[in-house]
Amino acid sequence: MSDWQPSNHFRPWPEGVEPSVPIEGYPNTWTFTPQRAAFPRPLTRTEATGPTELWRKLPCGDNNLAVLRPGRMALGQFMRISGRVLGEDSRPIPGAIVELWQANAAGRYAHSHDGSKAPVDPDFLGHGRVFSDEEGRYTFFTIKPGAYPVPVKDAWWRPPHVHFSVVGPSSLSRLVTQMYFPGDPLNEWDRILQSIHSSVARARLVARQIHPSEAGDTFLAYHFDIVLRGALATPEA
Amino acid sequence: MMKPPLQLPLSSHTIGPFFPPHFFSEADNDLTRVSRDAAPTRSGTPYILRGTVMKEGRIPVPNAILEFWQADSSGRFRHPLDPAHAEADPDFLGWGRDWTDLEGCYSFRSVLPKGYAEIGTVRAPHANLRVMGAGLMNPVCTTVFFPDFALENAKDPVLNAVPPELRQRLVVAERAPENGVRVFSFDILLRGSAEDETPFFQD
Ligand SMILES: [Fe+3]
Repeated sequence: MSDWQPSNHFRPWPEGVEPSVPIEGYPNTWTFTPQRAAFPRPLTRTEATGPTELWRKLPCGDNNLAVLRPGRMALGQFMRISGRVLGEDSRPIPGAIVELWQANAAGRYAHSHDGSKAPVDPDFLGHGRVFSDEEGRYTFFTIKPGAYPVPVKDAWWRPPHVHFSVVGPSSLSRLVTQMYFPGDPLNEWDRILQSIHSSVARARLVARQIHPSEAGDTFLAYHFDIVLRGALATPEA
Repeated sequence: MMKPPLQLPLSSHTIGPFFPPHFFSEADNDLTRVSRDAAPTRSGTPYILRGTVMKEGRIPVPNAILEFWQADSSGRFRHPLDPAHAEADPDFLGWGRDWTDLEGCYSFRSVLPKGYAEIGTVRAPHANLRVMGAGLMNPVCTTVFFPDFALENAKDPVLNAVPPELRQRLVVAERAPENGVRVFSFDILLRGSAEDETPFFQD
């Protein structure tokens, strides 16, 4: 580890992968986004490291959002989301904290800041937290979220999506993103998804539907791999 | 030997306004405990960091999520990429999360970090801070330094990556102690004029 250097493990964000801001029709992006470009900094140990064994601090294991307790089932279409947490070099990342939250089937969040008129589902809280296993795998059982309008002048609609927050092994691999569903026409009009200019990068945020013959008859099944920044191997120059 | 092909990391999105309050517990902003019911570390000088997160117009931002990361009181991280990780303080987590209240205020409790040397550079004692919120498609990242270490701060490669006139902005201000614990303050202005806006770093 004597020749170890953070810059060998973290390449800059590739072109078009980071969202382009501010976003037309999303007023907050105009008042929150810094005016000055972020300063480049040398990467040191602080940026390359991150918390280990964070499950000791943040209790994990809530991965069933669809059935809160026996006999109380959330309304909506049951679905399973599973996949792996990986580095840029495709190696699995075990022990990553994966937090998921989403709207209910009517497109409403169980959150006091959601002022929408859509109904609350008392049997759906809409959040869970797990950590990835030895092979980097994670699984959630939930229901498919509904679309919801963005309450601004010239309203637009968010397509059905699931929010993910992942605490990986390094500060630089920290990721907050959203997962989308294949084939939803709203995806093409979503101002947030479309702020990602690279079509390849946008496609990475859309889950893959698993064939019903494989998924079975209990739930729709989706596969979503979460690729974090950073590689154990030295990237090509 | 074939190197594995690199794949694109997933794009960043805003954390939005609905990050579940259920994800927070009171101890999450206390870096001195490795778990909720653990005793705090006994190594190092405890301190509290407080501040307000503001958007354009210096309007406080409630419901912003902040994450904190720093070395222990010996300048070590309990992480395999720190060559000295085996000697890191086993009772110190180094990581904390808080969310701003209705007035935009946050706080963290920790112990003063030590600096460290690596590949031809010496880091002054510092802590990295990440702010996420509705409207921030990318998180903003900054680093705070401490007034006790003026000589080390003057040589820190990250502090020197910002123009000289902005460096003092990243040094926390000391306030009156509370119950014998040192208190520092650091306000974060997400968007403002060139001299007002907090300096942020690429991540
Ligand atoms: Fe949402």
